[in-house]
Amino acid sequence: MGKLLQLLLRNGGFMTFVLVEVLCFYIIIKYNEDQNAIFSHTATVFSGKLLDKRRQVADYLSLQQLADSLRAENIRINEELANARNIQVPYRDTFFIRNLDTLLLSDSLRRISVRPQFEFISARAVGNSISGANNWLIINKGSNDGITPNMGLVSKNGVVGIIRHVGPNFSMAMSVLHRQMRISVNLQRHHALGSLIWEGGDPAIMTLKFVPHHFKVEKGDAVVTSGYSQLFPKDILVGHVEEKPGSDPENPYFWIIKVRLNQDMASVNDLYVVNNIFYSELDSLNLKAKDE
Amino acid sequence: MNNSIFPNIWRFFGLVVLQVLLLQQITLSIGPYFNILLYPLFILFLPIQLPAPYVVLLGGLIGMVVDFFYGTLGLHASAGAFSGFARSVILATFEPKGGFTGKEPIASPAYFGWRWYLQVAGFFFVAHLFWYFSVMDFTFVYFTRITLKTLAGWGLTMIFVVLYSALFNPKS
Repeated sequence: MGKLLQLLLRNGGFMTFVLVEVLCFYIIIKYNEDQNAIFSHTATVFSGKLLDKRRQVADYLSLQQLADSLRAENIRINEELANARNIQVPYRDTFFIRNLDTLLLSDSLRRISVRPQFEFISARAVGNSISGANNWLIINKGSNDGITPNMGLVSKNGVVGIIRHVGPNFSMAMSVLHRQMRISVNLQRHHALGSLIWEGGDPAIMTLKFVPHHFKVEKGDAVVTSGYSQLFPKDILVGHVEEKPGSDPENPYFWIIKVRLNQDMASVNDLYVVNNIFYSELDSLNLKAKDE
Repeated sequence: MNNSIFPNIWRFFGLVVLQVLLLQQITLSIGPYFNILLYPLFILFLPIQLPAPYVVLLGGLIGMVVDFFYGTLGLHASAGAFSGFARSVILATFEPKGGFTGKEPIASPAYFGWRWYLQVAGFFFVAHLFWYFSVMDFTFVYFTRITLKTLAGWGLTMIFVVLYSALFNPKS
């Protein structure tokens, strides 16, 4: 307090000046229309800026919520896309091709209702390996979140793995970099079916087998999921053909094709678990077929 | 200091009357760029030894009185208070060697000579006019206009400052 008083006394002229000016400006703004108008306008601009800044801070603080809501939105769009790929409607008023029983015709020909086949659950990778001979991922969602074994695991860049073991809160997924992994894929340009496996070594490269010789495979051809495996929706990008293929020494009628993965397996983070609603039905049908 | 009270009171009323009866009419009849603000001379001629807070308050006071006649409440008061503060800075800058003594009660040409006086008064009125026009426009968007008004007003005002100082040659 004493120091404040000293300060006031030493800078008495300046302090008086400031006080008088504050009073003067108050009077000016209160009693002069021109200055009042300018002041109100400026005050509005400044308070606007201030409120804008406050909104920015609030936005920043709610980024986590925003990210969550965007993930939910992504899920919705991915589901829509995955399901849309299973509906083929060649012409508006001729006929519908029904695929995997996803279409239900309603009483009017124009109106169709779609039974969704795929459901997405967002998740994050909390563990990942790429250096072993058989690699696994751990994700932060489990049975409490509706995850069961044999669900597909994808990222926005492509296929990542398959859920194998499920705990209440976490799940283990077999990475695509696992020797038992078989992914049913298509060469997008030729619609040529093949099987994608990993033979170890380079974690960015997988091997595509069982594509017959009569398909002219070029470097850069896109490799997408076939939709036949019931684990992944159709047409999810997996990777691109790395180089011109050679013949499979074990099986001379087929190519052996190196595929560079679109998803860098070393940096896996935001993931979606793919739930095929009809998996058990399709699986039991498969089992019946095997018995015959 | 007591014998300097009455000359200052006379100067106060004399300059206010001169300002509102004569000089204000010149601005009103010629145009807004022809401002002659002579009343700050009262602030400049306050005793040098008077502590700065009093100078600021008296500057605000004469400005407020002028404001009543101009119908611009607070405008001249603000400029007057600023000039009161600026005076102490300007006087400190132009302080003669050895400092101010009681022998020179006010900053007038009678004690310091015309050359010194015109320098001090020149800076003093630039400060006053610039502050006045800035507060009048209330935004530096019109910086060019403020500067032009300050320069025009300063030129005219300095003529009257010289006339007044030569005519009355104040000594206290």
